[in-house]
Amino acid sequence: MVSKELKVTNEAGIHARPAAAVVETCGQFQSHITFTKDDVQANAKSIMNIMLLAAEFGAMILVEAEGPDEVAALEAVEQLFEDRFRQE
Amino acid sequence: MAETIDFSRLEIHRKRSLPMRDFFFRFKEELSLTLKTPESSLSTEILEPNLHRPGLALAGFTEVFSNQRIQIMGTTEWFYLESVGPEKRREIFDRLKAFPSPLWVMTHNAGPHDELLKMCKEQNIPVCSTARETMDFCTELQDLLEDWFAPYCSVHASLVDVYGVGMLYVGESGVGKSECVLDLVERGHRLVADDIVNMTRKGRSIIGKGNKILGHHMEIRGVGIVDVERLFGIRAIRNAKKIEVIVELQHWREGENYDRTGLDAINTEAIGISIPKVVIPISPGKNITVISEVIAMNMALKMKGVDAAKLFNEKLIETMKGKTPSKDATRLSTEVHE
Repeated sequence: MVSKELKVTNEAGIHARPAAAVVETCGQFQSHITFTKDDVQANAKSIMNIMLLAAEFGAMILVEAEGPDEVAALEAVEQLFEDRFRQE
Repeated sequence: MAETIDFSRLEIHRKRSLPMRDFFFRFKEELSLTLKTPESSLSTEILEPNLHRPGLALAGFTEVFSNQRIQIMGTTEWFYLESVGPEKRREIFDRLKAFPSPLWVMTHNAGPHDELLKMCKEQNIPVCSTARETMDFCTELQDLLEDWFAPYCSVHASLVDVYGVGMLYVGESGVGKSECVLDLVERGHRLVADDIVNMTRKGRSIIGKGNKILGHHMEIRGVGIVDVERLFGIRAIRNAKKIEVIVELQHWREGENYDRTGLDAINTEAIGISIPKVVIPISPGKNITVISEVIAMNMALKMKGVDAAKLFNEKLIETMKGKTPSKDATRLSTEVHE
């Protein structure tokens, strides 16, 4: 299992479009990936789960990945956060 | 693997002319037409779906005169000709002899002046009278002509009216279009056409119809040809429907990204008209009928101005604004996991 705490860097927060980007990225990996915010854990491959975190601008999210490609998965998620979910 | 329909590369047809004889016998009752010249004059052709009021040409201005269109003689034209007297009328129609039209129509059942009849006889062009009032006649005739000259094409697809929404199913052979359609009909929706759909552009819409010979017959693999009208009754069919959504059925492909939010509507252009498109991946055990009904209802909502995906996202963004952390969101997300 690998994990890392990441900060939401796009101003509107993780709404439907960023959530779709998260699900799309995470769906490419076999590993089980979760986002945890304020003690609430969400499956990163479910768009409704991710949206219900209502992760606003500046929120900290603990990303955890477990599985055969966990390192690559975590890197991809980190890149996605850096790219502001490819939104703006 | 066979590609699905490329709507931008459809072979679009357009009728080039409407022979006058066909026009007259097809529409004479509908348009209350009576022929004032011999039947042999019905040898002209209508080449465009436009009408012309020849007032200016009668008054002497012929530099710009759309004589290739059907000439509509309303009350104005008739009274003008009446007011100028026979001498001037002869002069007018002598000049107009050089401008043959496909047809002259007198509205309000007005009798054509002898000079007009004489010119038309010489040109071998028909003159008709109609009992109808000018504007009413023009609107209907324009509509009939536009239908006749409308661009059309034929596609390998199925068209069903689901809760009043016209859904055109496309997808490679064997993906299950016909089975999906049959299931929808069984649930009370109405079949327009299976396998071949003729699409015609009417104004800003695309109207889909079936093939005359095929009617509402369907081929079901393993069963053969069935007649949907006889099997399910008159409620299960309709003859034409505006196409409002294109549903592309696709075998599930690993790694393909399907629309997850519904925020970015994809549109497909067909005969120059943009139509929303939905791509549905098919996998064993998936109930495509229920999904179809949901697509139809969601589209009906959108047509009423309610976009569920957009409203949900707006609410979510609003929630995230100025909150850290939201008790509400916490509670909701916990529920998801229970």
